[in-house]
Amino acid sequence: MRATVSAHVHFMIESVYKALETVAEWSVSFIGKRAETALFFLRYLIPALGLIVLLRCLISLFREDSRPERWGRLVLSGDVTIPLMHWENTIGRGRSCDIRVDVPTVSRSHGALIRDNRGGWTVYDLSSRTGIEVDHKKVDGSMPVRPGQVITVGGLDMVFLPMSEEEEREQAESRRYRYQPVSQGFTLFLLSMLQACFFLSFFLDPSQPADGRILLGFPCLAAVSWAAYLFTRSIRRRAFEAETLALLLTTAGFAVCATSAAYEMTRQILFLIAGVILYFCVGAVLRSLRLVKKLRIPAAAAGLALLLVNVVFSEAVLGAKNWLSIGGFSFQPSEFVKIVFIFVGAATLDRLFTKKNLFLFVGFAAMCVLALVLISDFGTGLVFFVTYLVIAFLRSGSIGTVFLSVGGAVSAGLLAISLKPYIASRFSGWRHAWDFPYDSGYQQVRAMSAAAGGGLFGLGAGRGWLETVVAANTDLVFGVVCEEEGLIFGLTMILAVILLGVYAFAYAGRARSSFTVICSVSAAAMLIFQMMLNVLGSMDILPFTGVTFPFVSRGGSSLIACWGILAFIKACDTRQNASFTVRVPGRRKRNAADVDEDVRIYVRGSEAEHD
Amino acid sequence: MTKIKRRSAVLLIIILLLAAGMGIFLFRYFRDGRHWAAFSANRTAYTDGVLKHGEITDRDGEILLTMEDGTYRYSADTATRLSTLHAVGDRYGNIGTGANIVYRDYLTGYDTVNGLYRSDRKGSVALSIDAGLNRRAWQALNGRKGAVAVCDCDTGEILCMVSSPSFDPESPPDSFDSPEYEGVYINRFLSSAYTPGSIYKLVTAAAALETLPDAMQRTYHCAGSCEIGDDTVNCMGVHGDLSMREALAVSCNCYFAQLAVDVGGKAMKDKADALSLTSSVFMDGVPSTKGNYTLSSEALDTAWSGIGQGQDTVCPAAVLRMMAAIAGKGEAPDLTLLKDGPEGGSAVLLPEKTAETLAELMHNNVVTSYGESLFPGIRAYAKSGTAEVGGGLSPHAWFVGYGEKDGRTLAFVVLVENGGYGSSAAGTVASDVLTAAFDG
Repeated sequence: MRATVSAHVHFMIESVYKALETVAEWSVSFIGKRAETALFFLRYLIPALGLIVLLRCLISLFREDSRPERWGRLVLSGDVTIPLMHWENTIGRGRSCDIRVDVPTVSRSHGALIRDNRGGWTVYDLSSRTGIEVDHKKVDGSMPVRPGQVITVGGLDMVFLPMSEEEEREQAESRRYRYQPVSQGFTLFLLSMLQACFFLSFFLDPSQPADGRILLGFPCLAAVSWAAYLFTRSIRRRAFEAETLALLLTTAGFAVCATSAAYEMTRQILFLIAGVILYFCVGAVLRSLRLVKKLRIPAAAAGLALLLVNVVFSEAVLGAKNWLSIGGFSFQPSEFVKIVFIFVGAATLDRLFTKKNLFLFVGFAAMCVLALVLISDFGTGLVFFVTYLVIAFLRSGSIGTVFLSVGGAVSAGLLAISLKPYIASRFSGWRHAWDFPYDSGYQQVRAMSAAAGGGLFGLGAGRGWLETVVAANTDLVFGVVCEEEGLIFGLTMILAVILLGVYAFAYAGRARSSFTVICSVSAAAMLIFQMMLNVLGSMDILPFTGVTFPFVSRGGSSLIACWGILAFIKACDTRQNASFTVRVPGRRKRNAADVDEDVRIYVRGSEAEHD
Repeated sequence: MTKIKRRSAVLLIIILLLAAGMGIFLFRYFRDGRHWAAFSANRTAYTDGVLKHGEITDRDGEILLTMEDGTYRYSADTATRLSTLHAVGDRYGNIGTGANIVYRDYLTGYDTVNGLYRSDRKGSVALSIDAGLNRRAWQALNGRKGAVAVCDCDTGEILCMVSSPSFDPESPPDSFDSPEYEGVYINRFLSSAYTPGSIYKLVTAAAALETLPDAMQRTYHCAGSCEIGDDTVNCMGVHGDLSMREALAVSCNCYFAQLAVDVGGKAMKDKADALSLTSSVFMDGVPSTKGNYTLSSEALDTAWSGIGQGQDTVCPAAVLRMMAAIAGKGEAPDLTLLKDGPEGGSAVLLPEKTAETLAELMHNNVVTSYGESLFPGIRAYAKSGTAEVGGGLSPHAWFVGYGEKDGRTLAFVVLVENGGYGSSAAGTVASDVLTAAFDG
């Protein structure tokens, strides 16, 4: 029975392909020579639309009203008021404390005042010298604090006045968009136009036979784009810049797939759908810090288990054994571990000051990198390592720690290189690709030659030759994009990834929790660094390590994982009703039992840490 | 939170690193893109490594080669095809120094904005050679193997470059195995090194002028032969006592053999190095074959080297550049095969005073030995060479120098393999080509 159904589906899809191909052939023969003219204009339209979409996302991110949120205040004697701008606030003498109390009896990092999802607040003593009191009762580790209570820090009394639910609702109302300078829907429409341009490029090209799989791919891509947008709107969220940028990159990836592996087009659509679903799932988890805390240890365990299976059962593809095949479906576990890695690395403020947490993460990171070295995936190992450095720096702020890690890693790396001739060979030709155009520089010189051949506007989608070189649509993908769509479009792709980073950076200061800041900044750093290795590696400026270009390189694992990582970046956006990963406060009635549960979790957690 | 916000600037550092890397990439892209695109694996420009489109002309726009969809069409004239083959190149790239390979960056039709888009817009390269002059030189060689080249001493442009043997690229012979086609793919002007024979006496003279203060006054005795240690160096005649001026004019072996011994092997080698006879000279980045000077502690070896009959060899291209340097008061421009070629540099090969003395001696050679009638209306400076090659074969004939007329200075080098006596075999070719070069 099942076999018949799948045969039917197969037959239907094949018929659609056939129909599209027939229509394309007929159209080309009908418009004849004018097809070339149309293609001539498409060649300029594609980079132009790419740039416009990018610019509209940029403007949208920075022109919109995005006043920071407020969550309450501390009133000192003499009417001095300190606003609470975040869900997590440090108290201390230090210059970078959120609540700065410049009194000698106060430690540099004295304590923390933290709000949870449901509006309950807790005060933490970060092993200060003189301690913290709430209503003149000493805080042992942590203690919930209620509105109107007096927090005493180093002999100084502060009355704690958080915003009431009513005020939070009013704030949300007042920050609601009055007008949107850039319509997200229209930006997406322009992106659909770009997708249509790609469709037409393949549809009208008289120099190659029409391929139904390609012709069906682009409409499906547009459909997925709009479905994601409509879903976002349906849950009352308006911002779609990050998603649009990711879809722009994915569109370029579809063009690469079409030219290099038309037979993969259908699967590429399924991968995108899976990626978008993963994106919303990861984002949903990030809505609740409580859930995040519960999931960290299981996630870390799952990630390590995945890598362990990889080390034991993997297959070697082009030297690196990073592929795992299960029931005819092969994937790269390391791509999914990236999501776990960021998830495990990030932490809320109360945990940043406990060393145990950091050590756990260091151990986890070391095992991840070791596993990748064992399977010879040097490039991905490097991406993990740099992400680790970023997270370590965000958490500790200590350059010393970071330098120590670099030193350790360089010696470990040298050891790895000396043990793995395959890696060493990748370094030997570095910066001398043109001296070895037929061995160690083979791929790079071809990528450079093709990129230059494309000029600023490209040869036209599907008209390049670089796709015939090994790994062109993954490791050399920048060359393929530059050859077919031109340097301008290639640079637009790079700028799109950079813009995701600028987005994370710009909103880092307004985020509610340090967890989301670490998530978004390290996720952006990971994507940018990985792209840097891909682009500069293929252009012989960095060693050629064979990592993927986020969203653009062909490959299901990579595409799906990149969409998952995108959710982290989205988590820092606190513009009102912007990001679905950020809850709108005050919408749900607070439940007294929930508050109590929260408190118990905190108390238990802090006891464990202080024992 | 404030702390973490500050630390998130680490993201900007990564972005800056990326921007720096992209800066390097873009710089290289715009500087080298033309070269990258012309890589022979680029299938937009090549089919199986053969350039699809392009056009090569001579300095007057006469078409020497047209490439269309991988089809090569050479000039309609047989003599033009044969005489310009080594300059233009063959379809299969066997002539590695052919213009179709060396200037492929310009033949692809690449431009920065469009790259190779619509690569049927063929690129065109105008060579500095004059096809008429090449035909003339080819005819003057009359089937003998060798090389003829003429360059403009002010610009370094090569006006004539012929290498023989050659073949007709429109109807190549079935087999290149016969001796007639020995080394047919080699551009003998650029990619061969030969025993120099008497033309090397100019190098010995230059070395003497700079190491011996009394070089011009010095006399040596020639009794038809002379003793160097226990061995004998023979001369073509019995010249008696003579000065450098007289010795160069009659090309006395005894004089220059003894002079070389007095100058010393070290100074001889240094001079050869300074004149870049032992290193490559570059023609638009293509290196010539290096000549050789072997330093020996034996006086006899030094003596033989002084008359160009020792271990030493020279490449015709390096000799041509040396002639340009003598004409240019010691300074020679870089050689180029492109019309209005890239703004080339120049190099000082020998001191001005030495250059002027050599020029005076070379003009004296023409007046007293070769006869001014060889170059009517031209003020000519020359030296012949007859390089013994052994093996019962006729010697290689050399004739090198330069001429001045109407404010132009053209240097020439003629080499006829196994041509016999230098001034008669090669001299007539030089006469023919140089006269035509000034008239044409």
